[in-house]
Amino acid sequence: MSSKEDILKKYRANVREQFDMPDLSDIRAITYPDPLLQFMNMVKSVGGNAIEVDKGADINQLIKELYPDAKEIASNLPEITIATRNPDDVGRARDLNGTDVGIIRGMFGVAENGCVWIPQQMKEKAVCFISENLIILLDKSQIVNNMHEAYHRLSTRDPKSGLDLFDEYGYGTFISGPSKTADIAQVLVMGAQAARSATILLLPE
Amino acid sequence: MSTQHSKAAKQFLKNQQYAHWHDATFWAVRSKRDKMAYGLDEWEQLREKASAIKRHTITHLDEYLDQFATNAEKNGVEVHWAKDAKEFNEIVYGILKNHNVKKMVKSKSMLTEECEMNPYLESKGIEVVETDLGERIIQLKGQKPSHIVMPAIHLNHDDVGELFEEKGISNEKGNHDPTYLTYRARLSLRNEFLTADAGMTGGNFGIAETGDIVVCTNEGNADMSTSCPKLHIAAIGLEKIIPNYECLAVFQRMLCRAGTGQPTTTYTSHFRKARPTAHHMHIILVDNGRSEWIGDPEHWESLKCIRCGSCMNTCPVYRRSGGYSYSYFIPGPIGINLGMLRNPQAHSGNVSACTLCNSCQTVCPAKVNLGDQIYLWRQQLDSLGTANPEKKMMCKGMGMLYGSPGLYNFATGMAHFANLVPSPLLNCGLNPWAESHDMFKFPKKPFHEMIKEIEK
Repeated sequence: MSSKEDILKKYRANVREQFDMPDLSDIRAITYPDPLLQFMNMVKSVGGNAIEVDKGADINQLIKELYPDAKEIASNLPEITIATRNPDDVGRARDLNGTDVGIIRGMFGVAENGCVWIPQQMKEKAVCFISENLIILLDKSQIVNNMHEAYHRLSTRDPKSGLDLFDEYGYGTFISGPSKTADIAQVLVMGAQAARSATILLLPE
Repeated sequence: MSTQHSKAAKQFLKNQQYAHWHDATFWAVRSKRDKMAYGLDEWEQLREKASAIKRHTITHLDEYLDQFATNAEKNGVEVHWAKDAKEFNEIVYGILKNHNVKKMVKSKSMLTEECEMNPYLESKGIEVVETDLGERIIQLKGQKPSHIVMPAIHLNHDDVGELFEEKGISNEKGNHDPTYLTYRARLSLRNEFLTADAGMTGGNFGIAETGDIVVCTNEGNADMSTSCPKLHIAAIGLEKIIPNYECLAVFQRMLCRAGTGQPTTTYTSHFRKARPTAHHMHIILVDNGRSEWIGDPEHWESLKCIRCGSCMNTCPVYRRSGGYSYSYFIPGPIGINLGMLRNPQAHSGNVSACTLCNSCQTVCPAKVNLGDQIYLWRQQLDSLGTANPEKKMMCKGMGMLYGSPGLYNFATGMAHFANLVPSPLLNCGLNPWAESHDMFKFPKKPFHEMIKEIEK
């Protein structure tokens, strides 16, 4: 008998009383009068930056102003013209090491905790973590209140693109602020193993 | 009369300054948790739902495990089943050997601690590098975690600074600033990520409906561990499977708020398929006792635990005795219970590490009845053969005393004569009631007499 059958057989023999699934539709989850404002405040409180981009502003120019010393910029987004590397073209994921600024696109933000949903939309997801500084482009109209709404959205196809974004690469992550740790004497330090800073550029309609 | 735990706690308390810091640090984490909990009107409702989802899921695990495995396989993932630690370790080694792996980076996983995977793989010549900063520190130090979320909490910044100097990770001698040390560790670990042949993660949740492994970290080390190496192995205990995203939302909202008092971890990552440039992804589902524990009528609910660590943060005994005072590798209230399920003979000493204040089960996001279970374990010590003989005798004596009103009234009436015993005899170290303070004085009149006089 395989281990799978062994385990399931043993489990079935031992399990006693069985319980029903609770109704989750009555959860009175928090909502906000101004989800965008709440989102921006949360991003700040988790150590990130959130910047509202004016209509017609030049994103490439703005990024250059934010990181004037950046030499290696990685992105596969067509609107980013200042990129020096492309996560779709690198030979190996590790070739993205040494990226000063990585620029990626988020699908929606979550007001309650500053998370942004990042489906993998590039060949090497390393760009999301290996870059010293991370910039996430996000349409400012795409903010949900809480994680219930967020996961509801992920359970269905994306209303904007009609895609289930797991179809292509099979990976996605919620990112809230920069990488951090308090493992040495409980002192909070930004920039543990992944991006040392995280900036959300909130794009107009 | 001291248990293994209280003897070990005595060692911990020798350094009073550190003991005080430990206590205050965890109380601060508990306070942060409270702030988060009180910030959501629905917090208690979420706890109810979390408990009910877990009760349902862990009593229907065969269905959900099957669904999970089927969906993961549809995603091109290879799913393995391990009955016990030995089989788990062998499966991991088999996969690594097939891919000729020399070095593996890994993110934090209490399951691999449980199975003692690292020493096994090292004995086979594979280098394993922990990448959670706290885990890396204790790995370099040759120690075990003293807390499930903050594994290096027993070390201060000077300890870490000296360790990093010794291991050549930091090069500025005497610079023990946590920011500097974290930066040096970042550089060192970055090199490990880039040169490893495989990456291993644990899993906070497995989603039956989609086959996702969900991993929550603040450092991004699970994502770094799986972004460069060509092979990803995820290890997950059976009880971590939940039905779907609707359920995940409940747990994602609670895990970090309860554990560290943050609104979320920095990264909540969903691994569904291997990277396009990598080999197959492997998921190992590990039983190692769980399919038996589900049948324990008094203790099966320990399987609801989501490993947030909030029960140890709030526990007055954990805060004042530290993780190393417990004999099981998971300390605190949940560790006491899991240790007893694992091996009651070996871990009975831990059940005394509880004041039955029930703070643990008041904060537990999955409403595991931790304190109640510890109380129940204590009732079983005699039948397990691990009851303390002196305490047993005392209990017999108390049974006699409280069972006979005449004897009881006589004894309490006479008790004040014990005050006449010279202090050096009472406070000599043999009397357990006079530890860390002098023996108390018996009142001249027992309570029953006093109350009668008042009522006159």
